[in-house]
Amino acid sequence: MPIQVEHLTHTYMPGSPFAATALHDVSLTIEDGEFIGLLGHTGSGKTTLVQHLNGLVKPTSGRVVVDGLDLSEKGVSLLEVRKKVGLVFQYPEYQLFEETVAKDIAFGPKNMGLSAAETDERVRAAMRRVGLDYETMAERSPFELSGGQMRRVAIAGVLAMQPKVLILDEPTAGLDPAGRRSILTMIRELHAAGGLTVIMVSHSMDDISTLATRLVVMSRGELVMTGSPREVFLRQDALRSIGLGVPQAAELTHALIAEGFSLPDDLYTLSEVRDAILRLAGKENA
Amino acid sequence: MLRDITLGQYMPGNTVVHRLDPRTKIILTIFYIAIIFCVASPIWYVIPLVYLLAVSKLSGLTPKRLLKSVKPLRFLLILTFVLNLFFSSGTTVWIQWGVLRVTREGFITAVHFSMRLIFLVAGTSILTLTTSPVALSDGIEMLLKPLKVIHFPAHELAMMMTIALRFIPTLIEEADKIMKAQMARGADFESGNLIKRAKAMIPLLVPLFVSAFRRAGDLAMAMEARCYHGGEGRTRLRVLKYAKIDLYALLITVGALVVTILCGMWIK
Repeated sequence: MPIQVEHLTHTYMPGSPFAATALHDVSLTIEDGEFIGLLGHTGSGKTTLVQHLNGLVKPTSGRVVVDGLDLSEKGVSLLEVRKKVGLVFQYPEYQLFEETVAKDIAFGPKNMGLSAAETDERVRAAMRRVGLDYETMAERSPFELSGGQMRRVAIAGVLAMQPKVLILDEPTAGLDPAGRRSILTMIRELHAAGGLTVIMVSHSMDDISTLATRLVVMSRGELVMTGSPREVFLRQDALRSIGLGVPQAAELTHALIAEGFSLPDDLYTLSEVRDAILRLAGKENA
Repeated sequence: MLRDITLGQYMPGNTVVHRLDPRTKIILTIFYIAIIFCVASPIWYVIPLVYLLAVSKLSGLTPKRLLKSVKPLRFLLILTFVLNLFFSSGTTVWIQWGVLRVTREGFITAVHFSMRLIFLVAGTSILTLTTSPVALSDGIEMLLKPLKVIHFPAHELAMMMTIALRFIPTLIEEADKIMKAQMARGADFESGNLIKRAKAMIPLLVPLFVSAFRRAGDLAMAMEARCYHGGEGRTRLRVLKYAKIDLYALLITVGALVVTILCGMWIK
């Protein structure tokens, strides 16, 4: 179920003095099973782009095709599209509203018109997938949970619709390091379990570097780079010029190369760099 | 979608009317209302008419724009006219259908009350059209200050107004975001009957209230961190000052009021 974005342009409030172009001629194809890291500075158009992928925002020009359906065509059931493409907003815990965790997660499946039995089955499955214990959590109020737990509930609320594509808009924003690690581990496991295409918006290079299979870099509403993390992180200067950095491991590698050490210049994960340094020091682990 | 709503009706500008002290404008509005209520017979609406046309010329607001603010009241206006037309007591009968009859006196009363409503709304809208919400609440605070002797919380009232106005765009943005988030979960805000639609608002309203309370708490803490302790001894960045133009405007308006009263005594 690929997603094709073709020459997408979006202008907010066109024709008014407040008109602002958020996206300019963006083209992108997302294949099944990919883990896309969508990177960009604040205001680069990342959020506007992902809101196009399930029809929340309509293109000013260009088209978005999900599973062969052109979203701007008349008569396309947006509910059908939203079943396939799940979108988790930034700070999703602020959208919780029900009395209990289970009821909140059931909101999506209920809107899809599923039976009570099937809804319950999906709630249990979704809670399992995000690592929440059904027995102890289902009947609690979502408002008495910790920030990280609330975020899991909100993500479960989208997963319960069993989408084929899961989009997460800055899923780790505002969490402490422990909460952040556990959410990232959870996302990694969701993708590893198979059958799910993941698109994660982030501006943390370290978060994204070990997860994504492909990076898409945006700047000022335009798509400026796409490729594997290794390819993208090689272009350190280009990334810097649009207000982004590279993962700390890549930064360390470049600093060492500048100091005269002969290391490969495309390292970007911590373990790679460690191994390379040890090899250089002639003390490779036996 | 919600983002497109324009807030308030303030039309920025730099005319004499815009520059008047907000306190003056509030007082002028009160005098203007007094003029409307002192008009004794429909022909004397010529006085507020001339007054309004003059202000319209000075403020750059077209008469058409002023009449636009009467539009939401059109049903009330028609109702007022019809009720007065048919149910006023009078002696000179023009038309009679069964129990319904139109008299000369009834017709005059109907015209009189309809005019009163039109002039009231069109004239008072000038205040909100030419005064920014912040200036308006400043003006109200200063005018109500003397009531402190009877423990009227003028400062608190103005502060609440200012904060409420400040947070309307923020809450609209927030509502827009929550709405989209729930739509991503298949919520439908647009179809169904009235009850279904009202129910559909719950997933929007609960998070919105929760976030409004959270914001209120944060704001209170931020204000206290900056040593806010109420209106006592607080100085302002922009001090309101009366100018000569304020005096002239006041004199003209009071003059118009006196003329209206005199005219009413001359021809009823």
